[in-house]
Amino acid sequence: MKKKIVKRLIASIFVLIGVTIISFMLVRLGGGDPARMMAGALATDAEVEEFRVRMGLDRPYIVQYVNYLGGLLKGDLGYSWSFSMPVSQLLATRIPQTLSLSLFGFGWACIFSIILGIIAGIKQGTVVDFVAMFFAIAGQSMAQVWLGFMLILIFSVNLGWLPSQGIGGFSHMILPGLCIGFGYAAQQTRLMRSGMVDVLREDYITATRARGVSSNKTYFKYALKNALLPIITNIGSQFGRIFAGAVVVENIFNWPGMGQLIITAINQRDYQLVQSILLVSAAMLVFCNLLADIVYTFVDPRISLN
Amino acid sequence: MKLSTILRRMRKSKMFMIGLILLVVMILLCATAKFWVPCDPEVGSLLDRHLKPDWFAKGLDGHPLGTDSLGRDILSRLFVGGWVSLKISFVVTLISMFLGALVGLVCGYYGGVVDMILMRICDVLAAIPQLLMAICIVAVLGSGMGILIFTLTVTGWVNTARLVRSAVLGMKNKEFVSASRVLGANTNRILWKELFPNTITQLMIAASGHFGGTILVETSLSYLGMGVAPPTPSWGNMISDGRAYLSSAPWVVIFPGIALALTVLGFNFLGDGIRDVFDPKNID
Repeated sequence: MKKKIVKRLIASIFVLIGVTIISFMLVRLGGGDPARMMAGALATDAEVEEFRVRMGLDRPYIVQYVNYLGGLLKGDLGYSWSFSMPVSQLLATRIPQTLSLSLFGFGWACIFSIILGIIAGIKQGTVVDFVAMFFAIAGQSMAQVWLGFMLILIFSVNLGWLPSQGIGGFSHMILPGLCIGFGYAAQQTRLMRSGMVDVLREDYITATRARGVSSNKTYFKYALKNALLPIITNIGSQFGRIFAGAVVVENIFNWPGMGQLIITAINQRDYQLVQSILLVSAAMLVFCNLLADIVYTFVDPRISLN
Repeated sequence: MKLSTILRRMRKSKMFMIGLILLVVMILLCATAKFWVPCDPEVGSLLDRHLKPDWFAKGLDGHPLGTDSLGRDILSRLFVGGWVSLKISFVVTLISMFLGALVGLVCGYYGGVVDMILMRICDVLAAIPQLLMAICIVAVLGSGMGILIFTLTVTGWVNTARLVRSAVLGMKNKEFVSASRVLGANTNRILWKELFPNTITQLMIAASGHFGGTILVETSLSYLGMGVAPPTPSWGNMISDGRAYLSSAPWVVIFPGIALALTVLGFNFLGDGIRDVFDPKNID
């Protein structure tokens, strides 16, 4: 077991090294000269050249990459040219913002969808089930941008209940949190419901009922445990996705997190900042998945890693 | 499965029929939009800025769904733009499915080094969040329809490849494949005539999810200024355009969002429907 976890961990690190290669190539592929951008529009060619040397961009790509990777091993994410500060310092203020927003959005969506899914599964075929399924299907069909605008239109513009821009107290977090978790809530409601429906059809549930065990005990003691299994993997993969996909929501609600930062970084050709944001997001995605897989093997002994 | 069985199950599956009808109506309206919409979708009159919807009071001649900030007719833009969004998604889905199926078949069937290398590439691509990757590609390559399609394809084929690969792994040692090999079939034939047809159901389900998903990603990219460039309308850039006037002219945002949601809904239903229809456990 321990050996397998270590093996997966090493594989994940190789995946992340792959990510650094792709992001390194990606930012350097296209047009735009960061040295010229830093030097300013009026700079002479000689001055631009000086900036290029100072930024280390005059060296061959392979040297640049090795330096980048070497820095990473020492925990150095590089230097942000457009913000004139170390990337790690910059991210230290931005990651907590993205993390708190994603945790809030993820939290309500996770609890809400599990409860709704269980009720819908138990009350299969009733009005409650219909409403839950409608929510689940409609929620997965809406564009996040549109949903965000509708939330602003209803709760900020028309009702005037909640602020729609920037950070502040808890009230500032509600609309972006709803927006970021909505699609996930819809998706997981459906998963939970179908899990519950499937388990309730199993023979062991019929047998439990035949023995005269009360309905509630059957549902919550015997059925729920198995119905929750697929949710564990889903939680892992979806949290990483929410965290990494915060870019749209952060821009709609003017939330000063990593997603807002990457747009600035790309437009400024701030290579090391873009690379670092991609790497952090990818790391989050990979390790949430890994964690979910590990938890899954502990919960369900029938499944082994690999 | 016999064709008559498939058709009967299709008619019986509510999901399938609702999805199919939604999509047929939407696609027909959008595809023929050029011929029936009342106004030029890219040219407006500044005197008619932000006119409220008149709900077909004057038939098609007025502005049934209102006008936007440049006085362009929203109904016209909605369906012409819909066709742009649908075309992009169609091309992206087609290429992604083909590429995914090809990689999946080759990896699953041959295994070994090829499989290992391609699957590790998949792992890496899957680890980079799709939207961030797309933003980076568009930012470095510049915007344009071709680049948009390329971007969405690059980030889109991985899941299909994994799906097909695992399906092939499950089949390649079954009797029908060995039988075919014993009868002298070459690899090409085994791949495309024996294995590929057995993945088609899964591919169709994946394709309908992919189609809807691509429309959604295009919307996000448009909002970030990296989607279809104006003045060409698409659902994505129509929604983003309305942001500045959300309080005074909400209809500019509302209608394209509804059209988009109905279309994605149609694809989701269709995918579920296909799953029901071809479900081997489904006994009429």
